[in-house]
Amino acid sequence: MTVDQADKHEANREGIKLVKSQNAASQQSISTLASETETKQPSQVSQPATAYPERRKAPRTWETPPEPVPAPHFDDYRPIVGDAEINELRFLARPLKGKTLKMVNSTAVGGGVAEMLNRLVPMLAELEVTTHWDVITGGNDFFEVTKAFHNALHGTEYQLNRAAQEIFLAYNEQNRQRMQFQEDVVVIHDPQPAGLIRSKKDSPGRWVWRCHIDLSNPNPQVWGFLRPFIDQFDAAIFSSQSFARQLPIPQYLFYPCIDPLSEKNKELDDSYVQQICDEFGIDRSRPIITQVSRFDRLKDPVGVVQAYKLARKYVDCQLVLAGGGASDDPEGALVLKEVKEVVGNDPDVIILDLPPWCALQINALQRASTIVIQKSIKEGFGLTVTEALWKGKPTIAGAVGGIPNQVIHKLTGALVHSVEGCAYQIRYLLTHPEFAAQLGRNGREHVKESFLMTTNVRRWLLLLRILMGERTV
Amino acid sequence: MTTTTTTTTESTTGTQTAPRHQAVKAFYFNTSAHLLRITTLKANTLAELLDCLRACPEDSIFQHTFRTLQEHHFIREGFSNDFAHWALAACNQPGLAEQLASVDVREFTSLSDLRERFIEILANHLKRHHADASKIAEETFYFCAADIVVLPTDTVAGSMQEFVKGLREASVHSIHHHFIEARLRIKLMSNDFSQWLHEDVGLTDTARALNRIDIYTATLEDVRRQIVRVVERSLT
Repeated sequence: MTVDQADKHEANREGIKLVKSQNAASQQSISTLASETETKQPSQVSQPATAYPERRKAPRTWETPPEPVPAPHFDDYRPIVGDAEINELRFLARPLKGKTLKMVNSTAVGGGVAEMLNRLVPMLAELEVTTHWDVITGGNDFFEVTKAFHNALHGTEYQLNRAAQEIFLAYNEQNRQRMQFQEDVVVIHDPQPAGLIRSKKDSPGRWVWRCHIDLSNPNPQVWGFLRPFIDQFDAAIFSSQSFARQLPIPQYLFYPCIDPLSEKNKELDDSYVQQICDEFGIDRSRPIITQVSRFDRLKDPVGVVQAYKLARKYVDCQLVLAGGGASDDPEGALVLKEVKEVVGNDPDVIILDLPPWCALQINALQRASTIVIQKSIKEGFGLTVTEALWKGKPTIAGAVGGIPNQVIHKLTGALVHSVEGCAYQIRYLLTHPEFAAQLGRNGREHVKESFLMTTNVRRWLLLLRILMGERTV
Repeated sequence: MTTTTTTTTESTTGTQTAPRHQAVKAFYFNTSAHLLRITTLKANTLAELLDCLRACPEDSIFQHTFRTLQEHHFIREGFSNDFAHWALAACNQPGLAEQLASVDVREFTSLSDLRERFIEILANHLKRHHADASKIAEETFYFCAADIVVLPTDTVAGSMQEFVKGLREASVHSIHHHFIEARLRIKLMSNDFSQWLHEDVGLTDTARALNRIDIYTATLEDVRRQIVRVVERSLT
């Protein structure tokens, strides 16, 4: 990536200087893709726009991934969730002192599961629940098969053949032979290591299958192949009620969660938020509508632009589309092209193609936003919604996947089913700021109650106690 | 409407006596933790919801009423229970939703009676509106259930001052456990705080006043503040 002429035009942080927008550089992995125009479309503006800060040709952002941030300590969460919550987690953990837990998944870095385990394992250790984390190994052939299984379990067409089954079984057996399972509870994440369940008969512990994927419409051949393994576990965990299957074992619901101390979600100085807005040419004196999502049709970025355009007939606002995937994914590039076509020459639409390590910048963009949108057509859980709610932002989101678990219409946000519905909610929230603020407050509390890392720790501790024979009432 | 057994502090007669600032018995603050279990029952129509209401375990009734109220403790108005929410949001039945939302969990000391009340409302609605029974909802209603573990905390109140301090510092889960869920445990139209104030401290009027706090128009934090205010007033 090149940071092109970042110092050439100093953005006016006070937003006083009247300047015109700049066209974007397009060949950068971090790029500001504000549409090119010198004049605003009169029909789209009902209120006179105030000053525009200068929009940089390219923002001053990091070219390489930053150094990893050390995991926080358990007590670092005290100011966020309160003494009572932290103390309760310690009470919950007390009888588990000295108990052991093993987590097994298929990758140590990258991906949501590894990210979650990187935080969860040290937190459990701090609570004196000894937690081992093992990663299975396999050749390319194994991971090709498991990738195909993954897609098939999400409903993609796939013809399961004997060779794929044998590869899956052989690598699972190879891993099984080299691994020990002496812990009180063994948790197998996702289908890749599911074959390790064959060790259950020689193990003293209880076995849990933690499924992070949507099994609501699985390919019957692949599910039929995996099902006999899953039935042997003592319990299963799913991320949504709708992802669960009919199984003969107890199934628990663990919502995905966010870490309030991560780069993506930690509190930021307003000066940093301002700096990021300046770099991307976003005017904080005017309403900012943001969608953070990769350029993927299922996230409906074109629909977001259409909704913005409808809303702009009545209210002044800017639209920020912050995503990724356009640089390394041909489909993403195509979607980005479509988005730019719909945007046309509107200087108030700022399109950012960000690499995955821009968590801090995403955090700042979300915090700078007046409203956050997640107008997905299909969604897993929708952690970008969780992030927005946590930042107290009034959020408009498509009523799909796990989003309705987070956005309760008119209570913690607004659920929409169409471009027109999205446009109306933008108008309504921008013209009813007190109601919008109340949604934001409720949304943050909802996340605090159900979707934070600490809540996830609570669920794990509870599950361990229940699996170890705690009598429930 | 189904009624429930009622030996309550509210029915207890007698005037407020001078508080025994040293209680006869200490108040032990506990809390409860809940793990959400997914059951195999689900409904796509109101008729299916009725079938599931009849078939589901009592843990499910608890989850979708008492427990969901706790999960949404920060909402001041507009959320009562999952059945009402689904009737409105997924079935577009505002009249039915209002009726379901009006079911006040504090009026029930048994989940069985609470279940019957929901069945009664829904069955009556479907009797009057046959066509509603088979309309497909926009979202499926998944019946979940709560596995509950009760936890002792380190907070013990031997005096009213300690009680107030405990109330201020307890988690909202603990407030819910003692103030709302308690009636299922003690089988009284009351709560742990009122029981203790009445039986062990002699503050009958204060105990009664706590039972009049409206949990449906306040957040659980508001409820906590109101409890503290009522109890502190008794000390002056």
